[in-house]
Amino acid sequence: MFVIVNGCQHLVPDPHTLEELLSQLSPPIPFAVARNEEFVPVGNYHECRICPGDRIEIVHPMAGG
Amino acid sequence: MREHQVDRLTLYDRTFTSRLLLGTARYGSPRQLLDASLAAEPALLTVSLRRQLAGASGSGQPFWDLLSQTNRPILPNTAGCFTARDAITTACMARELFNTSLIKLEVIGDDANLQPDPFGLLEAATELVKLGFQVLPYCTEDWVVCKRLLDVGCQVLMPWAAPIGTGQGPRNPNAMRELRKRVPNVPLIVDAGIGLPSHACQVMEWGFDAVLVNTGVSRANDPVAMARAFAGAVTAGRRAFLGGPMIVQELAVPSTPELGRPFSIDLDVSSLCGS
Repeated sequence: MFVIVNGCQHLVPDPHTLEELLSQLSPPIPFAVARNEEFVPVGNYHECRICPGDRIEIVHPMAGG
Repeated sequence: MREHQVDRLTLYDRTFTSRLLLGTARYGSPRQLLDASLAAEPALLTVSLRRQLAGASGSGQPFWDLLSQTNRPILPNTAGCFTARDAITTACMARELFNTSLIKLEVIGDDANLQPDPFGLLEAATELVKLGFQVLPYCTEDWVVCKRLLDVGCQVLMPWAAPIGTGQGPRNPNAMRELRKRVPNVPLIVDAGIGLPSHACQVMEWGFDAVLVNTGVSRANDPVAMARAFAGAVTAGRRAFLGGPMIVQELAVPSTPELGRPFSIDLDVSSLCGS
Protein backbone atom coordinates (compact mmCIF):
# COMPACT_ATOMS: atom_id res chain seq x y z
CA MET A 1 0.00 0.00 0.00
CA PHE A 2 0.95 3.62 -0.35
CA VAL A 3 1.52 5.73 2.76
CA ILE A 4 2.90 9.24 3.08
CA VAL A 5 6.07 9.30 5.18
CA ASN A 6 7.49 12.71 5.99
CA GLY A 7 5.66 14.20 3.03
CA CYS A 8 6.82 11.59 0.50
CA GLN A 9 4.76 8.75 -0.90
CA HIS A 10 6.10 5.29 0.02
CA LEU A 11 5.06 1.93 -1.36
CA VAL A 12 5.27 -0.56 1.50
CA PRO A 13 4.26 -4.24 1.66
CA ASP A 14 0.94 -3.97 3.50
CA PRO A 15 1.91 -3.22 7.09
CA HIS A 16 -0.96 -3.83 9.50
CA THR A 17 0.43 -1.74 12.32
CA LEU A 18 2.73 1.16 12.84
CA GLU A 19 5.19 -1.21 14.46
CA GLU A 20 5.39 -3.24 11.23
CA LEU A 21 5.73 -0.11 9.12
CA LEU A 22 8.59 1.18 11.25
CA SER A 23 10.24 -2.20 11.05
CA GLN A 24 10.17 -1.90 7.26
CA LEU A 25 11.35 1.71 7.20
CA SER A 26 14.04 1.31 9.87
CA PRO A 27 14.40 5.01 10.70
CA PRO A 28 17.56 5.91 12.61
CA ILE A 29 17.06 6.20 16.35
CA PRO A 30 16.07 8.12 18.33
CA PHE A 31 12.75 9.16 16.80
CA ALA A 32 9.14 9.93 17.62
CA VAL A 33 6.08 9.40 15.44
CA ALA A 34 2.77 10.99 14.56
CA ARG A 35 0.05 9.40 12.40
CA ASN A 36 -2.34 11.72 10.62
CA GLU A 37 -1.14 14.62 12.79
CA GLU A 38 -1.76 12.70 16.02
CA PHE A 39 1.10 11.69 18.28
CA VAL A 40 1.53 7.94 18.72
CA PRO A 41 3.34 6.94 21.93
CA VAL A 42 5.99 4.28 21.51
CA GLY A 43 3.94 1.87 23.60
CA ASN A 44 1.07 2.05 21.09
CA TYR A 45 2.98 1.24 17.91
CA HIS A 46 1.85 -2.39 17.93
CA GLU A 47 -1.86 -1.53 18.07
CA CYS A 48 -1.83 1.53 15.78
CA ARG A 49 -3.51 0.37 12.55
CA ILE A 50 -2.09 1.63 9.27
CA CYS A 51 -4.42 2.41 6.37
CA PRO A 52 -3.62 3.33 2.77
CA GLY A 53 -2.88 7.04 2.46
CA ASP A 54 -2.02 7.51 6.13
CA ARG A 55 0.34 10.39 6.79
CA ILE A 56 3.24 9.38 8.99
CA GLU A 57 5.68 11.86 10.48
CA ILE A 58 8.95 10.53 11.88
CA VAL A 59 11.02 13.17 13.65
CA HIS A 60 14.44 13.22 15.27
CA PRO A 61 16.34 15.53 17.61
CA MET A 62 17.57 18.62 15.82
CA ALA A 63 19.39 21.81 16.75
CA GLY A 64 17.00 24.62 17.63
CA GLY A 65 16.65 27.97 19.29
CA MET B 1 21.72 39.82 48.81
CA ARG B 2 24.45 38.46 51.04
CA GLU B 3 27.37 36.65 49.53
CA HIS B 4 26.47 33.28 51.04
CA GLN B 5 22.93 33.35 49.66
CA VAL B 6 22.57 31.53 46.36
CA ASP B 7 20.53 33.28 43.71
CA ARG B 8 18.68 30.64 41.72
CA LEU B 9 16.34 30.66 38.76
CA THR B 10 13.18 28.64 39.40
CA LEU B 11 11.12 27.34 36.46
CA TYR B 12 8.21 25.26 37.64
CA ASP B 13 9.69 22.69 40.05
CA ARG B 14 13.26 23.03 38.81
CA THR B 15 16.01 25.37 39.97
CA PHE B 16 19.07 26.52 38.09
CA THR B 17 22.17 28.45 39.06
CA SER B 18 22.57 29.94 35.57
CA ARG B 19 20.14 32.49 34.15
CA LEU B 20 21.24 32.03 30.57
CA LEU B 21 19.48 29.68 28.16
CA LEU B 22 21.36 28.78 25.01
CA GLY B 23 20.04 27.75 21.60
CA THR B 24 21.81 25.00 19.68
CA ALA B 25 21.19 26.11 16.08
CA ARG B 26 23.37 27.69 13.40
CA TYR B 27 26.82 26.91 14.80
CA GLY B 28 29.74 26.39 12.48
CA SER B 29 30.30 22.85 13.71
CA PRO B 30 29.13 20.45 16.43
CA ARG B 31 32.43 21.04 18.23
CA GLN B 32 31.76 24.77 18.27
CA LEU B 33 28.34 24.21 19.81
CA LEU B 34 29.84 21.96 22.46
CA ASP B 35 32.56 24.49 23.31
CA ALA B 36 30.05 27.35 23.43
CA SER B 37 27.90 25.35 25.83
CA LEU B 38 30.87 24.58 28.04
CA ALA B 39 31.81 28.28 28.04
CA ALA B 40 28.30 29.55 28.82
CA GLU B 41 27.23 26.80 31.24
CA PRO B 42 23.57 27.57 30.45
CA ALA B 43 20.63 26.55 32.59
CA LEU B 44 19.01 24.88 29.59
CA LEU B 45 19.84 24.07 25.99
CA THR B 46 17.02 24.49 23.50
CA VAL B 47 16.47 21.87 20.82
CA SER B 48 13.87 21.03 18.19
CA LEU B 49 12.39 18.12 16.27
CA ARG B 50 12.69 17.68 12.54
CA ARG B 51 12.51 15.09 9.84
CA GLN B 52 15.84 13.38 9.20
CA LEU B 53 17.91 15.28 6.68
CA ALA B 54 20.69 13.52 4.83
CA GLY B 55 24.09 14.82 5.89
CA ALA B 56 22.78 17.27 8.48
CA SER B 57 25.34 17.54 11.29
CA GLY B 58 22.95 19.08 13.79
CA SER B 59 20.45 16.23 13.80
CA GLY B 60 19.79 12.62 14.63
CA GLN B 61 22.08 10.33 16.56
CA PRO B 62 25.23 12.50 16.27
CA PHE B 63 23.32 15.46 17.66
CA TRP B 64 21.83 13.27 20.37
CA ASP B 65 25.32 12.17 21.39
CA LEU B 66 26.50 15.78 21.38
CA LEU B 67 23.69 16.81 23.71
CA SER B 68 24.77 14.09 26.12
CA GLN B 69 28.30 15.48 26.10
CA THR B 70 27.12 18.94 27.11
CA ASN B 71 25.56 17.48 30.26
CA ARG B 72 22.99 20.30 30.27
CA PRO B 73 19.20 19.98 30.77
CA ILE B 74 17.14 20.14 27.57
CA LEU B 75 14.30 22.47 26.65
CA PRO B 76 12.61 21.27 23.45
CA ASN B 77 10.68 23.75 21.33
CA THR B 78 7.84 23.65 18.84
CA ALA B 79 9.60 25.96 16.39
CA GLY B 80 8.04 26.20 12.97
CA CYS B 81 4.50 25.32 14.06
CA PHE B 82 1.83 27.58 12.66
CA THR B 83 -1.19 25.92 14.24
CA ALA B 84 -2.08 24.88 17.77
CA ARG B 85 -2.63 21.32 16.61
CA ASP B 86 0.85 21.02 15.08
CA ALA B 87 2.38 22.53 18.22
CA ILE B 88 0.52 20.12 20.51
CA THR B 89 1.55 17.08 18.46
CA THR B 90 5.15 18.29 18.30
CA ALA B 91 5.19 18.89 22.05
CA CYS B 92 3.95 15.36 22.67
CA MET B 93 6.65 13.89 20.43
CA ALA B 94 9.27 16.05 22.17
CA ARG B 95 8.17 14.92 25.61
CA GLU B 96 8.63 11.29 24.65
CA LEU B 97 11.91 11.81 22.83
CA PHE B 98 13.63 14.07 25.36
CA ASN B 99 11.92 12.69 28.44
CA THR B 100 10.92 16.10 29.77
CA SER B 101 7.61 17.82 30.34
CA LEU B 102 9.18 21.23 29.75
CA ILE B 103 8.21 22.71 26.40
CA LYS B 104 9.09 26.04 24.83
CA LEU B 105 5.82 26.64 23.04
CA GLU B 106 6.03 28.45 19.72
CA VAL B 107 3.00 29.01 17.52
CA ILE B 108 4.03 31.39 14.79
CA GLY B 109 1.49 33.74 13.26
CA ASP B 110 3.51 35.46 10.57
CA ASP B 111 6.32 33.99 8.53
CA ALA B 112 7.88 37.38 7.79
CA ASN B 113 8.72 38.45 11.34
CA LEU B 114 8.02 35.11 13.07
CA GLN B 115 5.71 36.88 15.48
CA PRO B 116 3.76 34.58 17.82
CA ASP B 117 0.12 33.91 16.99
CA PRO B 118 -1.60 34.86 20.28
CA PHE B 119 -4.76 32.90 19.49
CA GLY B 120 -3.03 29.66 18.51
CA LEU B 121 -0.59 30.11 21.38
CA LEU B 122 -3.36 30.37 23.94
CA GLU B 123 -5.21 27.40 22.46
CA ALA B 124 -2.10 25.22 22.48
CA ALA B 125 -1.03 26.34 25.95
CA THR B 126 -4.46 25.53 27.35
CA GLU B 127 -4.37 22.00 25.98
CA LEU B 128 -0.75 21.31 26.88
CA VAL B 129 -1.24 22.39 30.49
CA LYS B 130 -4.14 19.93 30.66
CA LEU B 131 -1.84 17.24 29.30
CA GLY B 132 0.62 17.88 32.12
CA PHE B 133 3.21 19.91 30.28
CA GLN B 134 5.25 22.66 31.91
CA VAL B 135 4.70 25.27 29.25
CA LEU B 136 7.08 28.14 28.51
CA PRO B 137 5.22 30.15 25.86
CA TYR B 138 7.14 32.33 23.42
CA CYS B 139 5.05 35.50 23.33
CA THR B 140 5.25 39.23 22.84
CA GLU B 141 5.15 41.78 25.65
CA ASP B 142 1.40 42.25 25.11
CA TRP B 143 -0.03 42.31 28.63
CA VAL B 144 -3.45 40.87 27.86
CA VAL B 145 -1.97 37.89 26.02
CA CYS B 146 0.49 37.32 28.86
CA LYS B 147 -2.31 37.51 31.41
CA ARG B 148 -4.39 34.96 29.48
CA LEU B 149 -1.41 32.60 29.27
CA LEU B 150 -1.00 32.82 33.02
CA ASP B 151 -4.73 32.30 33.49
CA VAL B 152 -4.63 28.97 31.65
CA GLY B 153 -1.79 27.69 33.80
CA CYS B 154 1.51 28.83 32.31
CA GLN B 155 3.90 29.61 35.16
CA VAL B 156 6.66 31.09 33.02
CA LEU B 157 6.54 33.53 30.10
CA MET B 158 9.04 34.10 27.32
CA PRO B 159 8.44 37.56 25.85
CA TRP B 160 10.48 38.56 22.85
CA ALA B 161 12.85 41.50 22.77
CA ALA B 162 12.66 41.68 18.96
CA PRO B 163 11.88 39.26 16.13
CA ILE B 164 13.79 35.96 16.12
CA GLY B 165 17.26 36.13 14.70
CA THR B 166 17.37 39.90 14.24
CA GLY B 167 19.73 40.77 17.09
CA GLN B 168 18.09 44.18 17.39
CA GLY B 169 17.81 44.15 21.16
CA PRO B 170 14.73 45.38 23.07
CA ARG B 171 12.46 47.17 20.58
CA ASN B 172 9.83 48.14 23.09
CA PRO B 173 11.57 48.80 26.40
CA ASN B 174 8.65 50.58 28.03
CA ALA B 175 6.25 47.71 27.41
CA MET B 176 8.81 45.17 28.58
CA ARG B 177 9.43 47.04 31.82
CA GLU B 178 5.70 47.48 32.33
CA LEU B 179 5.21 43.73 31.92
CA ARG B 180 7.92 43.13 34.50
CA LYS B 181 6.11 45.40 36.96
CA ARG B 182 2.73 43.76 36.35
CA VAL B 183 3.96 40.28 37.25
CA PRO B 184 6.88 40.69 39.65
CA ASN B 185 6.70 37.06 40.78
CA VAL B 186 6.33 35.29 37.43
CA PRO B 187 9.58 34.09 35.86
CA LEU B 188 10.09 36.07 32.66
CA ILE B 189 12.69 34.85 30.17
CA VAL B 190 13.53 37.26 27.38
CA ASP B 191 13.59 35.22 24.22
CA ALA B 192 14.46 36.31 20.69
CA GLY B 193 16.09 39.41 19.32
CA ILE B 194 18.97 39.54 21.79
CA GLY B 195 22.07 40.25 19.71
CA LEU B 196 24.62 41.61 22.15
CA PRO B 197 25.70 40.94 25.71
CA SER B 198 24.70 44.53 26.50
CA HIS B 199 21.12 43.70 25.45
CA ALA B 200 21.13 40.75 27.82
CA CYS B 201 22.61 42.81 30.62
CA GLN B 202 20.04 45.55 30.03
CA VAL B 203 16.98 43.34 30.36
CA MET B 204 18.46 41.61 33.40
CA GLU B 205 18.99 45.03 34.99
CA TRP B 206 15.29 45.65 34.40
CA GLY B 207 14.54 42.61 36.52
CA PHE B 208 13.88 39.92 33.94
CA ASP B 209 14.74 36.50 35.29
CA ALA B 210 16.71 35.00 32.43
CA VAL B 211 17.68 35.38 28.78
CA LEU B 212 17.58 32.92 25.91
CA VAL B 213 20.08 33.59 23.15
CA ASN B 214 20.98 31.59 20.07
CA THR B 215 21.90 33.54 16.96
CA GLY B 216 23.73 36.20 18.97
CA VAL B 217 26.17 33.50 19.98
CA SER B 218 26.18 31.08 17.07
CA ARG B 219 26.62 33.74 14.36
CA ALA B 220 29.31 35.70 16.17
CA ASN B 221 32.80 35.62 14.71
CA ASP B 222 33.91 33.66 17.75
CA PRO B 223 30.86 31.90 19.22
CA VAL B 224 32.76 30.46 22.16
CA ALA B 225 34.06 33.87 23.23
CA MET B 226 30.60 35.35 22.72
CA ALA B 227 28.98 32.60 24.78
CA ARG B 228 31.31 33.46 27.63
CA ALA B 229 30.54 37.18 27.19
CA PHE B 230 26.78 36.55 27.34
CA ALA B 231 27.18 34.47 30.49
CA GLY B 232 29.07 37.32 32.12
CA ALA B 233 26.57 39.92 30.94
CA VAL B 234 23.60 38.00 32.33
CA THR B 235 25.35 37.63 35.67
CA ALA B 236 26.30 41.32 35.73
CA GLY B 237 22.77 42.41 34.90
CA ARG B 238 21.27 40.17 37.54
CA ARG B 239 23.67 41.45 40.19
CA ALA B 240 22.90 45.03 39.17
CA PHE B 241 19.18 44.39 39.54
CA LEU B 242 19.68 42.84 42.97
CA GLY B 243 21.99 45.69 43.91
CA GLY B 244 19.25 48.22 43.16
CA PRO B 245 20.25 50.89 40.62
CA MET B 246 20.46 54.53 41.65
CA ILE B 247 17.65 56.90 40.77
CA VAL B 248 18.40 58.92 37.65
CA GLN B 249 18.74 62.68 38.37
CA GLU B 250 17.80 65.57 36.11
CA LEU B 251 20.72 67.73 37.22
CA ALA B 252 24.37 67.10 37.98
CA VAL B 253 25.21 66.10 41.52
CA PRO B 254 28.91 66.14 42.42
CA SER B 255 30.12 62.78 43.56
CA THR B 256 33.22 64.20 45.27
CA PRO B 257 32.41 66.01 48.56
CA GLU B 258 32.20 69.80 48.22
CA LEU B 259 33.33 70.38 51.78
CA GLY B 260 37.04 71.15 51.97
CA ARG B 261 37.49 71.76 48.26
CA PRO B 262 40.83 73.52 47.67
CA PHE B 263 40.69 77.21 46.77
CA SER B 264 37.04 77.45 47.81
CA ILE B 265 35.76 80.34 49.86
CA ASP B 266 33.76 78.84 52.68
CA LEU B 267 31.43 81.15 54.60
CA ASP B 268 32.45 79.48 57.80
CA VAL B 269 36.16 79.51 57.02
CA SER B 270 37.10 80.96 60.40
CA SER B 271 35.70 77.99 62.31
CA LEU B 272 37.41 75.50 59.99
CA CYS B 273 40.75 77.22 60.63
CA GLY B 274 40.23 76.85 64.41
CA SER B 275 40.54 80.61 65.19
